[in-house]
Amino acid sequence: MTSFDFPPTPNRCPDAYGPITTYNRLRCSQVAHGFFLDGKQRAKERFERQNEMAQRLEDPNLSERREQIWKHSGRLEAKYLRFLRTKEGLSNYQTIKTIGKGFFGEVRLVRKIQDGKVYALKRLVKTQMISKDQLPRVRAERDALAESDSEWVVKLYTTFQDNTSLYMLMEFLPGGDLMTMLIKYQIFSEDITRFYSAEIINAIEAVHNLGFIHRDIKPDNILLDRGGHVKLADFGLSTGFRKSHDSSYYQELLQKPPAQPDNVLRSQNRNSVNIDEISLTVSNRAQINDWRRSRRLMAYSAVGTPDYIAPELFTKQGYSFDIDWWSLGTIIYECLVGWPPFAAENPYDTYRKIVNWPHTLFFPDDVPLSPIAIHLIRSMVCNSEQRLGRNGASEIKNHPFFAGVDFSSLRNIIRAPFVPPLVSDVDTSCFPVDELPQTTTTDNNDSSSTGATGTGRVEDDQTPTPEMTLPFIGYTFKRFEKTFV
Amino acid sequence: MSNLFSGINARLRGTANKPGGGKIPSPLSPTEEAPLPSPSSVSQASQSSSTSLQSKLPPLPASPSLSQSIGIVGGTGEDALNSYLLPRPLPIWLNPAYAKHIVKGNFMTLSARPKTVEQGEWVAHQVVEHYRNLWNFVRVIYEKEDDGKSICNATSCPRMSAGANHSYTWLNNRFEPIELPAYEYITLMQRWISGKIDDEKIFPTDASGVSYAHNPQITTTALLTGPDEWIGKRSGFPKDFFSICQTIFLQMFRVYAHLYWAHYAEPFYHLNLEKQLNSCFSHFVLTATALDMLKPHELEPMQPLIDLWAANGTFPPESKAYEYANLKAGARLLQLGGMA
Ligand SMILES: Nc1ncnc2c1ncn2[C@@H]1O[C@H](COP(=O)(O)OP(=O)(O)OP(=O)(O)O)[C@@H](O)[C@H]1O
Ligand SMILES: [Mg+2]
Repeated sequence: MTSFDFPPTPNRCPDAYGPITTYNRLRCSQVAHGFFLDGKQRAKERFERQNEMAQRLEDPNLSERREQIWKHSGRLEAKYLRFLRTKEGLSNYQTIKTIGKGFFGEVRLVRKIQDGKVYALKRLVKTQMISKDQLPRVRAERDALAESDSEWVVKLYTTFQDNTSLYMLMEFLPGGDLMTMLIKYQIFSEDITRFYSAEIINAIEAVHNLGFIHRDIKPDNILLDRGGHVKLADFGLSTGFRKSHDSSYYQELLQKPPAQPDNVLRSQNRNSVNIDEISLTVSNRAQINDWRRSRRLMAYSAVGTPDYIAPELFTKQGYSFDIDWWSLGTIIYECLVGWPPFAAENPYDTYRKIVNWPHTLFFPDDVPLSPIAIHLIRSMVCNSEQRLGRNGASEIKNHPFFAGVDFSSLRNIIRAPFVPPLVSDVDTSCFPVDELPQTTTTDNNDSSSTGATGTGRVEDDQTPTPEMTLPFIGYTFKRFEKTFV
Repeated sequence: MSNLFSGINARLRGTANKPGGGKIPSPLSPTEEAPLPSPSSVSQASQSSSTSLQSKLPPLPASPSLSQSIGIVGGTGEDALNSYLLPRPLPIWLNPAYAKHIVKGNFMTLSARPKTVEQGEWVAHQVVEHYRNLWNFVRVIYEKEDDGKSICNATSCPRMSAGANHSYTWLNNRFEPIELPAYEYITLMQRWISGKIDDEKIFPTDASGVSYAHNPQITTTALLTGPDEWIGKRSGFPKDFFSICQTIFLQMFRVYAHLYWAHYAEPFYHLNLEKQLNSCFSHFVLTATALDMLKPHELEPMQPLIDLWAANGTFPPESKAYEYANLKAGARLLQLGGMA
C-alpha cells in the first residue's frame, strides 16, 4: 500500500496571464538562461586562469616569485568580482567631451569617478533601433566582442543599460578616425595608403577569423590608437539596425525616388537603357567639395552613407565575407583619389552608381595613380565571384601593391605615419569636438540605472515598457581584464 | 528602512498532521537563543527560535539527515517522507518529472571559490549573484498587472508561508513577531537586502581594497585566527559581514520556499518556467550549503526536494547539499514518480 501520490498533471495555460506576466515570463527565462551561459563561461575562464597560475607556482625558475604570483592572482580575481558586483550606470562616469556621433547616439570621452581612468562611452538610444529581428544577431555579436581579444578590434570593457539607452564602455582611442584624417589631408600618398590598408587588412582578417562579417567598413569606423595604429570600432553591434543596410529600405527608395519617378521605375527594369544616363561627372570639383562638406553630416544621419557598401548588400541575393573587401577597395580608392568611387549628391544616386559599378567605376585622369594601385582597386571593387580576398586575406596581402610589407610586424614594430601628438590622457585634439554638440556633466543624471542588486527599487513605478527592455536582455557584459588596476 | 523590519522570526505552524517520526527532539542546538532585536543576527533568524513558542507547539519534524546521524530513525524513505508532514497528494514540484533543469553538468563549478580568492570576497559575489537570480523569479509574482493586481497578493497569500507547516514572521519595532502578507514580507525583504548590498561599507566595490586568500605554503601573512580576525577582514568587509550574509541567504531561502509552496504551479509551471526555477534554486542550495550560509535545519521546508535532487544526481555526492539529504526519501520520491 502506498500512502503518497502526485496530483494529476495539470495542462499548462501560459496564455491565462496578463501582458506584464507574459512579458516577465520571457524576461525571466532569458535572464535565467543568460545567467547560466555567462556563469559557465566565466567559471571556465576562471578555472583556466587558476590552472595557469598553478603551473607558474610549480615553475622552479619562478620559485622566488611564488608569493607574488599567488597574491597577484587573488587580487586580480577579486577586482573582477568587485567589478561584476558594481552598480553600473551613467552616474559612475564624468563626461569630459563628446568626441563622436553616430546615428544611434553619441560617443563621449569619460572619466570613471571611482578610479579616475579614462574611457570612451558610446550610447545607443533604444528607440532608434527599429528592426527587432536583428536582435539575436546583436546578442551574438556582443558575445563575439566579449570573446574577442584581438588587438585590431576596439576593446569593450563593459556594457550596461537604462530605460532609454544601451551603453558601451570602450578603450579610448585618442588618434581619432580615418574619416577625420581624410577630411584633414584630403589625399594620402601610396606609401601612407599602403600602411593603413595593410593594417585594415589585418583587422578585417581578425574579425573574419571570429566568424563575423563587419558589414560596415568605412573611414569613420576605422579608429587610430595612441601609436597611430588602426583598430576597428565596435563591429555590428549597431550596424545591423541601420537603414542603409536594410535592403528593403532601398527597395522602398527605389519605389519612390526623390524626384524622377519615371526614371527609376524604368531603371528597376534590368533591360532599361536609362541606367547609362546616370551622371558620371564625379570629378566635377564643385560637386566634390559639396560632398566633402557634407560627409560628416552624412555620417551622423539616419541613412548613413552607402558609399562603401558592396552591391550585393542591396540585393536580396545574399552576401559573404568578401563584402568587407569591397569596402576596403573603395577606401583605398578614396585615400588615393580624394573621394570614394561612387560619391554623389545624395545616397540614392550613390546607390545607383554602386549597383551599376561596371559603368560607373572610373579613375579620374587628373589624379595620378600607379597601375598597380588601380589593379588592386579593380580586383576588390568588382563582382563577388572575382573579388580578391574571396579565398582569404592572404590573396590581398600577396598583391604586388603590398610587395615588401611584413604584415605580422605592422602593429608592433612599424612606426605609424601619423602619431597623434598628445599632451594628456584626455587630449581630444584629433576629434571634431567643436562641431559636436557638447553636453554637460549634469546630463549624467538623466537616467536611472539598476543597482548592484539588479532589481531597482520596489517602489519604482517607472518600469520601462517591455518593448524597451525585452529585446536588450543579455546585452550586459563585463570583461575580465588582465590589466585591471 | 522600515521600522517594521527590526527582526526576522519564523515559527512553526502545523498541527494538522501527525508528526511521523514524532519522538525526535528538535535538531536545533540547545544553545539556541531567544529572538534578539537585531535583524542581522543569525541565530534569532532561524526557525522556531522562540523558546516560549516551542513549548506550546508540537515537536519539530526532524531533519532526516541529522536524525539518521544520531541513529534514531533508521527507517525507510517512506518513514522519512512521513516525518515531513507533507500534504496529500504531494506538491507537484516533488514529482521527479518536474524536478528537472535547464542546464546540464555540475553546478558546483559555478560556486567553487578560486583558491587565491579571499573567502569574504567570494561570499559577497555569491550573495549578489543569487539575489539577482532570485529577484528574476520574484518579479513574476510581484509585479502588478494593469488592473493593479500582482499574482502574489494579500488574498492569495495572506501569510509568508512555505506550506501549511511553515510561515515566517517579522519582528516589529517592539520585537514582537508579526504576520504579514507574503507580498509585504517580500517588499521588506527586498528593501532590507538591497540596503545591505548597496552599502559600500558592507559590500565595498573599490578595486583598491582587494586582498587574496591566505595559503600557509605560500603567503607569509598571518593565519585567520583570534577574536580580531574575521572572514573578509583583509578585503575590507566589516566584522558582521559573514552573519549579514547568512541572514541574507536565509531570507532568500524563505522566499524560494514560498515560491515553491505557493507559486510553483501558479504561475511558474503554467508559464513553463519551472526548469529555470529549479536550476536557480538548486544552484542556490549548493552554494549556500557549501559556503555554510545555511544550516541543515534551516532547509527544512524544502528538505524533500533536496532529498530528491540528491537522489536524481542534481547534487553531486561530494557536495554538502548531498550530505544534508536523506537519500532514502529521495529514492522513494523517484520511485513514486516511476523514475526509480
Ligand atoms: N573607442 C573610441 N575611442 C575614440 N573615439 C571613438 C571610439 N569609438 C567611437 N569613436 C568616435 O565616435 C565616432 C562614432 O562612433 P561609432 O562609429 O562607434 O558609432 P556609430 O557611427 O553610431 O556606429 P556604427 O559605425 O557602428 O554604425 C567614430 O567615428 C569615432 O570618431
Ligand atoms: Mg560609425
